[in-house]
Amino acid sequence: MKKVLLVVTFLCSFLFAAIAQTKQITGNVRDKSGEALIGVSVTVKGTKQGASTDINGNFKLSVPTSSQVLVLNYVGFKTKEVNIAGQTNVKVTLDEDVTSLDEVVVIGYGTVKKKDLTGAVAQVSADVITAAPVSSAVEAITGRIPGVQISTTEGSPDAEMTVRVRGGGSITGSNAPLYIVDGFPVNSISDIAPSDIESIDVLKDASSTAIYGSRGANGVIMVTTKNSKSGTTSIGFTSFTGIKELANRLDVLTPQDYAYWQYERALLDGEVKDYTKYFGNFQDIDMYSNVRANDWQDIVFGRTGSTYNQNLNISGGSEKTKFSLSHSFVKEKAIMLYSGFERQNLNFKFNHKLYNKLTLDFGARYSNTKTEGGGANEQREISSADSRLKFAMIYPSIPVNGLTNSTETDPDFSLFSPLVALTDNDQYIHRKTYNLNGALNWDIIKDLRFRTEIGYDGYRNDQDRFYGQSTYYVQNVPAAANQGDPAIIFTNTNRNSFRNTNTLNYDFGKLLASKDHSLTALLGQEYIKTEEGILTTTVHGLPSTFTFTNARSLSTQGQANSIDNNFSVDDILLSYFGRVNYNFKGKYLLTGTFRADGSSKFKDGNRWGYFPSASAAWRLSDEAFMEDAKTWLSDLKIRASYGKAGNNGIPSGQMVQSFLNSTTTWVNGANNFWAPSKTMANPDLKWETTTTKNLGLDISLFKTRLNATFDFYTNNTNDLLIEYPVSGTGYDFQYRNLGETKNRGIEFSANWNALKKKNFELAFSANIAFNKNEVVSLGGLDVRGTSGWASSEVGYDYLVQEGASIGRIYGYVSDGRYEVADFSSYDAGKARWILNSDVANASTVVGTVRPGTMKLKDLNGDGIVDATDRAVIGNTNPKHTGGFSVNSKIYNFDVAAYFNWSFGNDIYNANKIEYTSTSKYSSRNMISTMATGQRWTNLRPDGTISNDGAELTSMNANTTLWSPYMSRYVLSDWAVEDGSFLRLGTVTLGYTVPVSLASKLKMKTLRVYASGYNLLLLTNYSGFDPEVSTRRRTNLTPGVDYSAYPKSKMYVFGLNVSF
Amino acid sequence: MRKIINICLVLAGLTVVSSCKDVLDAPTQSSLDESVIFSTPALAEGSIAGIIQSFGETNSYRGRYLVFYGINTDTEVYNGLKTTDSEQSRLSNYNTNVANTQMNTDNNAWAKFYEGIERANLAIRGLRTYGNVQNNAQLGQILGEILTLRAVIYSDLIKGWGDVPARFEPITSETTYLPRSDRDVIYKQLLADLEEAATLLPWPNGSAATQSVERVNKAFAKGLRARLALAAGGYSQRLDGTVRLSTDPELSRDKMYTIAKNECLDIINSGTLKLQGFEEVFKTLNAETGRAGLESMWEIPFSEGRGRVIFDLGVRHTTTDKYTGQNRGGTNVPNPIMLYEYDKDDVRRDVSIVPYEWTGGVQVPSSLGRMYFGKYRYEWMKRVVTSTNDDGLNWLYMRYADVVLMAAEAINELDGPAAAAPYLQMIRTRAFPKNPEKVTSYMAQATASKTSFFNAIVDERALEFTGEMLRKADLIRWNLLGTKLAEAKTKLQQLETRQGKYANLPSKIYYKTLDDKETVQIYGLNFGDTDAIGNSLGYTANKTWTMSASSDKATYWDALYTRDPNLQQFWPIWQVFIDSSNGTLDNSNLKL
Repeated sequence: MKKVLLVVTFLCSFLFAAIAQTKQITGNVRDKSGEALIGVSVTVKGTKQGASTDINGNFKLSVPTSSQVLVLNYVGFKTKEVNIAGQTNVKVTLDEDVTSLDEVVVIGYGTVKKKDLTGAVAQVSADVITAAPVSSAVEAITGRIPGVQISTTEGSPDAEMTVRVRGGGSITGSNAPLYIVDGFPVNSISDIAPSDIESIDVLKDASSTAIYGSRGANGVIMVTTKNSKSGTTSIGFTSFTGIKELANRLDVLTPQDYAYWQYERALLDGEVKDYTKYFGNFQDIDMYSNVRANDWQDIVFGRTGSTYNQNLNISGGSEKTKFSLSHSFVKEKAIMLYSGFERQNLNFKFNHKLYNKLTLDFGARYSNTKTEGGGANEQREISSADSRLKFAMIYPSIPVNGLTNSTETDPDFSLFSPLVALTDNDQYIHRKTYNLNGALNWDIIKDLRFRTEIGYDGYRNDQDRFYGQSTYYVQNVPAAANQGDPAIIFTNTNRNSFRNTNTLNYDFGKLLASKDHSLTALLGQEYIKTEEGILTTTVHGLPSTFTFTNARSLSTQGQANSIDNNFSVDDILLSYFGRVNYNFKGKYLLTGTFRADGSSKFKDGNRWGYFPSASAAWRLSDEAFMEDAKTWLSDLKIRASYGKAGNNGIPSGQMVQSFLNSTTTWVNGANNFWAPSKTMANPDLKWETTTTKNLGLDISLFKTRLNATFDFYTNNTNDLLIEYPVSGTGYDFQYRNLGETKNRGIEFSANWNALKKKNFELAFSANIAFNKNEVVSLGGLDVRGTSGWASSEVGYDYLVQEGASIGRIYGYVSDGRYEVADFSSYDAGKARWILNSDVANASTVVGTVRPGTMKLKDLNGDGIVDATDRAVIGNTNPKHTGGFSVNSKIYNFDVAAYFNWSFGNDIYNANKIEYTSTSKYSSRNMISTMATGQRWTNLRPDGTISNDGAELTSMNANTTLWSPYMSRYVLSDWAVEDGSFLRLGTVTLGYTVPVSLASKLKMKTLRVYASGYNLLLLTNYSGFDPEVSTRRRTNLTPGVDYSAYPKSKMYVFGLNVSF
Repeated sequence: MRKIINICLVLAGLTVVSSCKDVLDAPTQSSLDESVIFSTPALAEGSIAGIIQSFGETNSYRGRYLVFYGINTDTEVYNGLKTTDSEQSRLSNYNTNVANTQMNTDNNAWAKFYEGIERANLAIRGLRTYGNVQNNAQLGQILGEILTLRAVIYSDLIKGWGDVPARFEPITSETTYLPRSDRDVIYKQLLADLEEAATLLPWPNGSAATQSVERVNKAFAKGLRARLALAAGGYSQRLDGTVRLSTDPELSRDKMYTIAKNECLDIINSGTLKLQGFEEVFKTLNAETGRAGLESMWEIPFSEGRGRVIFDLGVRHTTTDKYTGQNRGGTNVPNPIMLYEYDKDDVRRDVSIVPYEWTGGVQVPSSLGRMYFGKYRYEWMKRVVTSTNDDGLNWLYMRYADVVLMAAEAINELDGPAAAAPYLQMIRTRAFPKNPEKVTSYMAQATASKTSFFNAIVDERALEFTGEMLRKADLIRWNLLGTKLAEAKTKLQQLETRQGKYANLPSKIYYKTLDDKETVQIYGLNFGDTDAIGNSLGYTANKTWTMSASSDKATYWDALYTRDPNLQQFWPIWQVFIDSSNGTLDNSNLKL
């Protein structure tokens, strides 16, 4: 870092030139209300000379006599140029920048003024991004952009966030948008420090994404990092620190209720010794009434986490040179034991005018992220049995002799201490990304600019995953000799991308006869190549005493099961594109784009995809007939667009069936084998294409105090790249172009600067988006998704069908419980209850049926409830999502609150199923949903099972739920819950120290604030948090709440300083 | 303006350079070309493991086919059969549903068998194209082994599902979807393949590889060819739904018996295999010695941590103990009548049928309806199983006794009982090591006529192979499936109610744990035992010896089959494969 600073300093000093003849000029800068503005940057146009105003708004500057104009820059105010010819003292009033119409929006390979937009593009600016005290930019913009649904899938540090722009059209493929950071496509933006971000722009319709042709179909998220704007030196420092705590917890049974239930369970199972073996005699059950319970949730997730976040930004330069250098550091201690997160970011941006017509841009970005802890689940799991949350929930809360003090778990119990589960599933991920970008701009002739960019993006991810003795993995996967001994897997991923982009921009303005016409054109070519290799080293049979730390550093103590250095097929993309913008008097705007993409993922003949688009806008407010409305209507624009964008989001190398070599521990006498991939090659693959129609309206009222945007869209995705099931042919899947999906929706956003007085400001903003997804055709096929949280007990639980949306949950329909009246008699000889002939028997699903057993609807009416009686019981797609915020300033205090919501989506609460039914297991605890008084009971006070109908009825007069005793886990609509929520994401109270005081401390600004994150959540959802999705290995199973890392609340205190 | 032209030229130049045709070609890395793999023996061997890998997949042989194929018959049944509507029961009681939740998954045996076939097809193509198998014995052996493995899979596909799609070439877009093929087409191909394989493969111990029963040898290829010939020449339910013989003259009974006879005699005359003592056969299996040249001819080479043989078919341990870290066994059990089919001096009974299970490391009598296949025992293993899901014992796919009995059967059909007698006698003699006189008298009876000899073979194969899941296919090819199941039904009912030949059996068994604190001694299992004597012997415990329990939903005998077995000789192709077959597959042969 020092080096970089030195170099920068050197460069800067080198560029200072000799000073010519000068004159002294003084001035004073104020706002409209007459308040002195402090720290306004004043520069002499065409030179690097500048000064800034003092606490009285005064400045003093030496100006070459040849200079005529001063440029004044101040954040929040419009830039102003002042003519100083013949003056030595000037008084300047700066206008506040209330209008957003002149804001520049980043679009592909260029920028455009917001007022000239013809497509659907939304922007979030730096102040919104940094308002949330989180370490991830994506998390910070949750609920801020209409049509962009962002979900934090769980509460772990570095948790994956799913981002969907307008729903997403693919069924099995990725629906992730394309991320472009400073022009470079990257896989994720989670490694970018929020404070480094200048703006995030989201391109939503094809007319804006088509310039990215390929991969633009799921929307494009463009991140622009900060650079110095004015060239004046400025140093900013921000920092916040705070504490985190578990946001929500679920109660479990009291020790006595737990013992009581275990007794009933053992009796129902006909094996009372399963109880007495561990819990003693029933007569002594009172001893559990006063036992102190371990609160495992508290022990595992209850610690007070902490967060520390700082950012230092230095920017400056001169007229010719601008640079910005920033460093960010985040350190988090998460609420779960042994888990934490640390990130360092370095961002350097530099541009310099080499010659009059030649400028150089350079950017370097580096991030270094360390994530500790295995979390509560994983996507590439060996078995869902190793998911961690259940240990904290249903492990006995009291010591149970033989279970909790035994190193060998009973297979019918199959739980380990929550602490053992954590240490046995430990993990450390060290990720480094580095991005280097250089560009040359050459103004060949006036209005013709050539730009060439060369970039390199490196990604290195080192994951060390430890499997301790209690894990399913070591009990089953290693060769027999190493079973039961710790294992560690090192996965080192290396990915490198190289990019070259050449663009030519021409402004035809000069060639056109009239100033009313404006015509600009862009031509470009791009080449991107990505190489990836993964080295996986699997070590089994480590000494049984080894911990994660030992295993990482002493892997030679084990046996290398396999060392697999696997290189993926390169992903190469070659593209040509162009864009034409035309407008007449700013009233009639036309944009046309075209892109041709060649992808190495497809074979000759299908390789090239062509993505045209056109859009138009009409600014009604500028028409003569709208003249009368000028008093209140600042701007009114109608936009329409039509275009195509593509998607090639499949793994490389699908064209040829090549032999792969894999390791095996299943075959005697072999440790590796040759076989083709389980995915059948398909040489006929081609681009998936999304056609977007968008109709938009931008309106700005009352001197731009109220701005609103409406968008209506229809996205049709054709030739879907589907991972098509072909099992039975010899392969499991084959990628095919098949079917069609449709997303239709409405988006609305508005912001209203309700009040803007000297000492009181109040502003609101809100957005809402409705999206409806429909699978138009699937070639007559139903696609089934299996979340697999219960291994094979539940079977497939998602169903995609033609005519319906994706993300629909499939299972049984609950019919409450079998009541005594459902039975004709009890056969004491055979010890079983006889069902009435008109009552459907669900025993093949729930186990032996008796009064109190869970009852399911017999949908096909054949008298037996079995797998054919399942139906669609939930839809995980929200009806609408959105957010709103309130910002206010009262004197030097500022208050802000950001809310976001999701409405009408279902959550598949798999946790609840696991925590309220026995399945085949014994001795497990349950959540209090199934407490005595809630659950059906069969147990008489004397410790015997009642088979007397009348007695059972009276014993259960006040209970509402069925008996948790079941032979396996059952997914019914009872476990499908409304996941609607309203969350108070961030609330902040800040105080800006008066400038007079700050300047005494040699600061331009000083603000301190206190902020809370996730303080309030309104929902009817019974689980930890409805914003959850843990079974993400396929896109088919969204919205499953199984073993999610619980979310936390956060209270922070922070400070922003600039010099 | 000239500048613009220059720029355009430069740009155009760049464009031309970067749009060279191969700029978008990205070859596969981390792979080798077929020509390298299949011309290098050390690499080509890896394609054998690739096929076995498919056997070991969760719901392939490992978790589904080995446990669910072959029940219910007069010798082997599903343990939970009395709950007749459970998914497992429905796989066994001739009432299988196309959406059976045990099987109707895309990773089921059906899919994994075709995965194995595709891997074999690719390897066979590779070896024939690049392998120089005529001159390179090692590559020849690999080709022979893969041809045989493909035949193993097809044999089991036909056993399970009847007429199935025939794939003998790597898949192409034209052959992605294929309808059921008449099984005669497949049989003929397999008979030819195995004939070729036998020429490529060495006898057991004839090469380094064939010193292990985990590698295919000539004897197994020939034995499998004999087994397939008998199946091809026998009865079964055909595509038209009827049970009949093949009408293809190439698969006539005589031709098939001739193949079986010749192959079996080749094996016997080679002297490369031998009959071990009956118990020794299975002790050898459980001890995992893997030595070729004994009775075992080929075993599915599950590694120690993969495969479910004892897990599903072995003597149950209800708790973990010093013999096993896995409390499993007994998903399938012997048909209870089998305990009473053996002569009391037949040494095979106590090896094959075990009337106890292990609890807390001690043998505890189970029940008449829940005895176990003693051929698979944790306690006979040399190691303690630690995996919770797999025991890793090899599956004994074929043993020499099968060859000997196939020889006897084929020779009887072709040359009459006298010529066939020595082979049946070999098996009989081993079964009665201490009672040669019983063998002599039995043989005299059996050789009375061709029919009586055939009937003796039918009985002998039941006694010899109980628990080896060969019975169902045998009964089908003899067209005795319905008959023998009906007989078993009657016998079960008589046994439970102590009627007919079971009339004098005691109602209880009497038992005690011996001084070694684990072995149980039981009285009351033999004809001639009585309650009166049982009570007088001073045993510490006794229990009612019955196959019914309080929770029964059906009687044992009614649960054996719920539809006519001859109309449901095969499983349907599962719904998930029907759905993804592009309309080429259905189950009309089963009227489903």
